[in-house]
Amino acid sequence: MGRIALHDIRKSFGAVDVLKGIDLTIEEGELAVFVGPSGCGKSTLLRMIAGLDRPTSGRIEINGTDVTARGAADRGLAMVFQSYALYPHMTVRANMAFGLENTRMSRAEIDSRISEAATLLEIGPLLARRPGQLSGGQRQRVAIGRAIVRRPTAFLLDEPLSNLDAELRVSMRAELSALHDRLGATMIHVTHDQVEAMTMADRIVVMRAGRVEQVDTPLNLYNRPANLFVAGFIGAPGMNLWPAEAAQGRVRIAGGPEVALALPDGPLTLGLRPQHLVLQGDGPLSLRVELVEALGAESVVHGALSGGTRVLAVLPGQPGLKRGDSIALGFDPGLVHAFGAAGQRL
Amino acid sequence: MTFLLKRRGGKGWHWTDIVTFLWLGAGLMVMFGPAVWLVLSSFKSPAGLAEFPPTLLPYQAQTAVVEGHDNPLPLFVVTDAAGSRTLAEVRRVGTVAQMVDPANPAEIVRVNIADREPVRSIGFAWENYLGPFERFDFLRFTMNSVFVTVTATLITLLSSSMAAFALSKYEFRGRSAVVVLILATLMIPLSVILVPLYSIVSAVGLMNTLWGVILPTVATPTGVFLLRQYMLTIPDELLEAARMDHASEWQIYWRIVLPLSAPALAVLAIFSVVWRWNDFLWPLIVLSRPEVYTLQVGLNAYAGELNVQWNYLLAMTVITMIPVVLVFVFLQRFITAGIAGTGLK
Repeated sequence: MGRIALHDIRKSFGAVDVLKGIDLTIEEGELAVFVGPSGCGKSTLLRMIAGLDRPTSGRIEINGTDVTARGAADRGLAMVFQSYALYPHMTVRANMAFGLENTRMSRAEIDSRISEAATLLEIGPLLARRPGQLSGGQRQRVAIGRAIVRRPTAFLLDEPLSNLDAELRVSMRAELSALHDRLGATMIHVTHDQVEAMTMADRIVVMRAGRVEQVDTPLNLYNRPANLFVAGFIGAPGMNLWPAEAAQGRVRIAGGPEVALALPDGPLTLGLRPQHLVLQGDGPLSLRVELVEALGAESVVHGALSGGTRVLAVLPGQPGLKRGDSIALGFDPGLVHAFGAAGQRL
Repeated sequence: MTFLLKRRGGKGWHWTDIVTFLWLGAGLMVMFGPAVWLVLSSFKSPAGLAEFPPTLLPYQAQTAVVEGHDNPLPLFVVTDAAGSRTLAEVRRVGTVAQMVDPANPAEIVRVNIADREPVRSIGFAWENYLGPFERFDFLRFTMNSVFVTVTATLITLLSSSMAAFALSKYEFRGRSAVVVLILATLMIPLSVILVPLYSIVSAVGLMNTLWGVILPTVATPTGVFLLRQYMLTIPDELLEAARMDHASEWQIYWRIVLPLSAPALAVLAIFSVVWRWNDFLWPLIVLSRPEVYTLQVGLNAYAGELNVQWNYLLAMTVITMIPVVLVFVFLQRFITAGIAGTGLK
């Protein structure tokens, strides 16, 4: 129950190609997160899985059945919208019951499902209220409750946390993950927040400009980004990406030093996470500190190499640096990512 | 009371307070004065209405039954050389009235009309209200008007909201063209289409029926436009959520869009009730038998070619105003209140 397969999904609005051929399989019980910058087509893709939009071409299968031509109601999916889309004129109970009443379910069954979901989400005391009388977090729970009572094949969540404040977002994130474990249902979660994606997902689908850039587990994405875009998108703060030139086992960083790295000759881009740079007296990177963001547990150091190439380093603790200091940084060559001229991982 | 006497800032009267109150007072007079005068005048007798100079309050002359006279005679206070006393008028010839003392009915006194003042008190001529219902079948006119207003308003709300739903929530070719076309009909006044409309209603046999009044008026471009603009503000996500919830298109319309459009529907209902209740020209053309008259057409019967029965006309005008006033009193909060969008962030 709940395997979703997409085959060469394309979508155009007039002359604009929004999705340019998506092939993707979401396994049963998986929490997949679609992540990407705004406008990358992730919400459009979700709406197509939901059946709210039709793809221009391609095929959507749920549990092996082709549902491309089926309407939203007949796909057995439930969706939580970014705005929650609770019916403002109905009570919480009526909101949750609406979808069940439409399937001519018996009153007793509806009541038992609602009370079950209300217990699960701790919204029992709110059942008689209207959405206007609820806080953002409570509306969020009701929206999820409305999806749960349907017992869907899969849950589709369209940026469900983006309207919550930062603190609530962190706790709802944990709750959603816990809910996924408890229900064991397939979930597709769309977000533009890579931290959300990293913390929740079984697998992350990174999208850009209507294409899937990489599909992998969060840690694989972090450790082995398939290309420059994924490398820059995943991880905070973003990875240092330096243009460089490799020749005979040595790599010259543009506007910086030459380091010994065994890489194929030619122009390439070196990637190094800020967390992987360490203070090292004889380190190869000597830079001038331009800004220090002291966060207590760690310090984010912005600096520039002698040639002007910018470097971002996250140093543990409080190293006592200040603007204008000259420091030398070293790194483990094994942690360096290298990307070819076309952006692909080498 | 403190609200009524609210002033700007502290305790004193600022000059802007005085200007404001004068302005508001003048506005109240202009807006409310005619209505108040109409209501007060509707309680006057025909003689009271014809009086010059006109009075604001309804007065009734006091009368006394005097021996030797069949009808009660009007009383006057006479002040002349013989002093001040109350006499009853028997008849009046030119500027001289023949009067009697009710205590001494045998003696006729001649009094110049300049020397006397009528004795009157505030009194209400309820017969202005009762008469039309007893003699003119006004109850039937009222029932007809209520039927026309209620039915036409219900059909207007239903048809306009369905059209507005389609024009606001579905994408189809020529949608804008249809909206423009509907709006364009606003520019055509009733008088232009009166004759063709008459031919149609006559051809389908609806002359002298209330349906002949109702059906041509129910499709209002104003209503469609008003509801469409309101429905455009209902987020599409709500409809999509309903679609995911197995709702049919009819259920989306009936259970989601219609309840959320309640404020706009209330406004249209108010308009429709006022329009249909006050409709005169079209019912006058369609209805020619008194048993199907609506109130407004029935009122017209009081204005004859030679004389107008003002007392009945005014009283029935007050009656016809009541429903419209009630509608505004009870539904006006909908004009300002909106409930849609509260389920969204």
